[in-house]
Amino acid sequence: MSSIKRRTLLKGGALAAFGIGTGVTLAACNSNNGGGTGGGGGGELDTSEAVTVTMLVLGDKPTNGRLEAMLEQLNAKLTEKVNASLELFYIEWADWQTQYNVQLLSGDSNVDLIGTATDWLFAWENAQKGAFLPMDEAMLSSYAPQTWEQVDSEGHWELCKLDDGMIYFMPEDNFTQWTNHGFFYRGDWATEAGIPDGEITEFEQFTTYFQWVKDNQPEAYPWDVAGTNEAALTGFVQGRTEYQVIQQVTAGIYFPFHTTTSDPTAVTSYYMEGDDLLAAAELAREWNDIGVWREDAVNYDGDTREQFYAGLSGADQHHMQTFLGILHRMPTDQPGSDPKFFYWGKENNNYYRDIKTHGAMAVSANSRNPERALAVYDILRNDEECYHLFNYGIEGTDYVIDAEGRRSQPEGFDPATDSLGSNFWYGRMDELEIPSATDPDNKQEMFDALDANAKDYPYERLVVDKTMIESTLAAMGAVLSEYIPQLQYGKFSDPAAAIAEMRQKLTDAGYEDARASIQADIEALEA
Amino acid sequence: MAGVATTRRPRSLLKSAWDSKVLLLMCLPAVAFFVVFAYAPMPGAWIAFTNFNYRDGIFGSPFVGLRNFEFLIKSGQLWLLTRNTILYNVAFIVLGNILQIALAIMLNEIRLRYFKKISQTVMFLPYFISVVLIGVIAFNLFNYDTGAINSLIVATGGDPVKIYSTAGLWPFIIVAVQMWQSTGYGSIVYFAAIMGIDKTLFEAAAIDGASAWQRIRYVILPSLKPTFIILLLFSMGGIMHGNFGLFWNLVGNNAQLFATTDIIETAVYRMVMTQNNFTTSTAVGLYQSIFGFALVMTANWIVRRMNKDYALF
Amino acid sequence: MHSSETTAPGVVDVVTVVEGKKRRAKRNKQAKPRAVKLGASDYALRGISYVFVSLFAVFCLLPFVMIVSASFSAESEILRHGFGLFPRGFTMTAYEYIFKSPRQILGSYAVTVTMTVLGTAIGLFVISMTGFALYRKDFRFRNQISFFIYFTTLFSAGLAPTFIWVGSTLGLRGSYLAVFLQLLMTPWLIILMKNFMRTVPYEVIESGKVDGAGDFRIFAQLALPMMKPALATVGLFLAMGYWNEWYLSSLYLGSQVEFRPLQYHLYNIINTANALRNSVAGDNVTITNLPSNTLKMASAVVATAPVLLMYPFVQKYFVSGITVGAVKG
Repeated sequence: MSSIKRRTLLKGGALAAFGIGTGVTLAACNSNNGGGTGGGGGGELDTSEAVTVTMLVLGDKPTNGRLEAMLEQLNAKLTEKVNASLELFYIEWADWQTQYNVQLLSGDSNVDLIGTATDWLFAWENAQKGAFLPMDEAMLSSYAPQTWEQVDSEGHWELCKLDDGMIYFMPEDNFTQWTNHGFFYRGDWATEAGIPDGEITEFEQFTTYFQWVKDNQPEAYPWDVAGTNEAALTGFVQGRTEYQVIQQVTAGIYFPFHTTTSDPTAVTSYYMEGDDLLAAAELAREWNDIGVWREDAVNYDGDTREQFYAGLSGADQHHMQTFLGILHRMPTDQPGSDPKFFYWGKENNNYYRDIKTHGAMAVSANSRNPERALAVYDILRNDEECYHLFNYGIEGTDYVIDAEGRRSQPEGFDPATDSLGSNFWYGRMDELEIPSATDPDNKQEMFDALDANAKDYPYERLVVDKTMIESTLAAMGAVLSEYIPQLQYGKFSDPAAAIAEMRQKLTDAGYEDARASIQADIEALEA
Repeated sequence: MAGVATTRRPRSLLKSAWDSKVLLLMCLPAVAFFVVFAYAPMPGAWIAFTNFNYRDGIFGSPFVGLRNFEFLIKSGQLWLLTRNTILYNVAFIVLGNILQIALAIMLNEIRLRYFKKISQTVMFLPYFISVVLIGVIAFNLFNYDTGAINSLIVATGGDPVKIYSTAGLWPFIIVAVQMWQSTGYGSIVYFAAIMGIDKTLFEAAAIDGASAWQRIRYVILPSLKPTFIILLLFSMGGIMHGNFGLFWNLVGNNAQLFATTDIIETAVYRMVMTQNNFTTSTAVGLYQSIFGFALVMTANWIVRRMNKDYALF
Repeated sequence: MHSSETTAPGVVDVVTVVEGKKRRAKRNKQAKPRAVKLGASDYALRGISYVFVSLFAVFCLLPFVMIVSASFSAESEILRHGFGLFPRGFTMTAYEYIFKSPRQILGSYAVTVTMTVLGTAIGLFVISMTGFALYRKDFRFRNQISFFIYFTTLFSAGLAPTFIWVGSTLGLRGSYLAVFLQLLMTPWLIILMKNFMRTVPYEVIESGKVDGAGDFRIFAQLALPMMKPALATVGLFLAMGYWNEWYLSSLYLGSQVEFRPLQYHLYNIINTANALRNSVAGDNVTITNLPSNTLKMASAVVATAPVLLMYPFVQKYFVSGITVGAVKG
């Protein structure tokens, strides 16, 4: 925003203060900048003028000087290639959900590229609300040709379109990671508990395992869990049924709508139908009676992963990527503990590959240089030298390559203080990654094994229109937040009655309307 | 003497503005401040009646009437939440003021200089401790497995209490924590008011042979009355606003306690925290404000009828 | 009981002030109370006061002792045993983490101290000036302006509209001014100040007028010096507001300033530990070995300790107190 424009707005503000014309000022600020309705058309990239491209990422801005040193080298290359330099704008972790959305809300032109994700960074909502620049083939293939090519060859652009046919973000579709959840547990304890090979293959076996820990490891909780964890219910249901969760719809922190593999177009909910939730709740109740978790687990705020490392917890719950870290550290902290990962849906192969839009990059609707922003992104994502620089830093100071060609930390490097912190989770590429020395040797085998039986999430393209059901979802969130934590921690003396009560309240909140509305969206997707 | 000026024959507006130009100028910075930072963005609250999008801005987005308020009713909890919020605030206001006044009077009696300094400084400590930490400390005191209170009970041969599943205890705990955090801080206002009392009044009371209790009753309390009323009127405006941080960090997602601990802010947070939704939060704010507004206008009107000097406006 | 004697205590000896016998009056009055004999009830009240104030002080202190002791404990001991009144496995790890780059934390202190000092000074001046004007019964617009100010406590625009206005339209995003200005005053402090003005007897103002002093001079030279407890109180509240602030900083400053205000800096340290641990972002987030429990506690100590050192200075104004007659001569 030029200073002249800002001054006009200020003047407008003074008028607005007296109740005249505030509408004009506030609204104007939101719609008159930069790319405008933009999006259409390609052409030659005009690099005559030097510009700065600002990228919004999540995380804490590092203060150790390493980022700046890296950017200096990177920007030399970017200037040479497209006459642009890169700046990072950080959304810090304190209160990040609010901050992220509020920064987009301000709608000014100081951000060009916006890191986003459909599952955890509100990509669809923000696309619908007009925060992202709509793009088409001509534009993308002109200014981000390599990205266009690679995503197009796999047909993944379809995953990034709203029903207007425009593309709203570029997916991180060529980067393998596994964020499927499950239990980490100890092979040594499982063996002693009498579980064959110390290898748990069914969810219910954890009852045996937990009971053994309770009886034989007086210092440890069988599963020290903190806060709103729903794993005792979801883990059970996932491995016993063919329910698949519709990830686009939340009520509070819960995902109340599901379909089944055999009938993927019929929206239902195990919160509402069938006996599976009850069976899960009864198992949870048994665990609570054993003393698997703290009596007051829901209020506990401790670091349960540290408890697991310290040998004070028999299990911990998170996803595969975290397990890689566990495999690296646990043998040092608890020698001979033989950590293992039991993922939900292992019994019946009811689990999913990561969606392709778990990370994505959008161009701000207010960007003044959308073309150059795309060009810079294309380089960061596809140019090997720049990719390494941006993701890993300067070779020799930020990382070194060991004899096996793996990436490891230089002498005296302290990850707590020396991290680069460029936090580029919005366009990584498998081909350009350098394997890390901390990863287990059999990482690829583990990934292949997961991949062999995993399913693709069937609704990646589903965009749910929440306008009419938002209040119902909120009300359902209120009901679920009252019942689910108590079911999860086995606190109801009569789970069956509690579930019946909850179902009645969900019905009153308008469950059926919301279900029908999502049903319509799914049918539209199929059509 | 009071009201001599105001009962005069009303003069023309311009003339009186000119007469009090210096006083008007003295108010100007504050008035300008509230115009810029409070009134100017206020029309933006219109967002509560829209289906907001970035393209059209607050005033161009589609109007949806009261739809953003619907979820409050649909959840079926509006009454429970409103009741809890108001009851907690009433308890905070009544108990808070009593304790603050009592503490201020007692501090005034302290003569040892260092004792006074140290105790007053210490009483400020709780105000500086973030509610996140208060939640952590509370857990360490009250939890069933390792909590300090239950350890003590067990050590003395009793049976541990499941404090985090006993909803009936929490109103007391929450009020106690609130008092712990705010009493020292709040008593400052009253303490300063006592300091401002003319010492000759105390002397006169002493000469008349008044006891300490009579001194409190007839000298101190009456002079705290204006302060008390102002405080009361201010807290009434916020009677529908709960202290989110305190309740959230003490109770969190523990649904076993909701019957006695859930307030508007915490329930709304659980309902819409994942929904990236500025419209609903503004809508809830309006609901709370309108209630507080009605209450304050009534209360101020009553106070005005009793004694003009005590009224806010 | 609704007479103005109670609203403006001090009426009694106004005459002495107006007549200008300030110094003598002061000496007389300070001498007198000591001469009055204390009765049994006075001793009883005093005894009760000492007991209860001590108890309450301990009640306030204990949790803080737990915090301090936890901040010096080893993380592993906290995991095992929870908090105690004495540190277990004494270590300074948490403080080392906070002070790992002293430049950052010192910068944060500097920002917060500057904002606090400037904000308190400016805010206090504006607030007391406004309070004085609103207290003046001969000020025709006092009710309207009071209402105008008070109304903002009842209705606010809400987070989003305010952010658009202050951050974008006024262009204050990324500027310390966004935080500094918004904390400058609150309706509550203005009305409180107006209320405290009652301790200035109206006759002082009248006499000033008679002497031909302008309104501003009456305020600055006659009223202000009589307002020490009020200024100390309001100033303290203002200062605490600046010192404790993190929320506005997180919205308007974020990562855009080199030095974050202190409480926001610490809040962010705590939250980073939590956010990284349960990160939804997948791998590539360095899971560092942060001592999260002790870190939280240490950050509280770092934020609070300086205030403990500062308060006794402020307190001077409360303890010395003033009466109408005790105007500095």
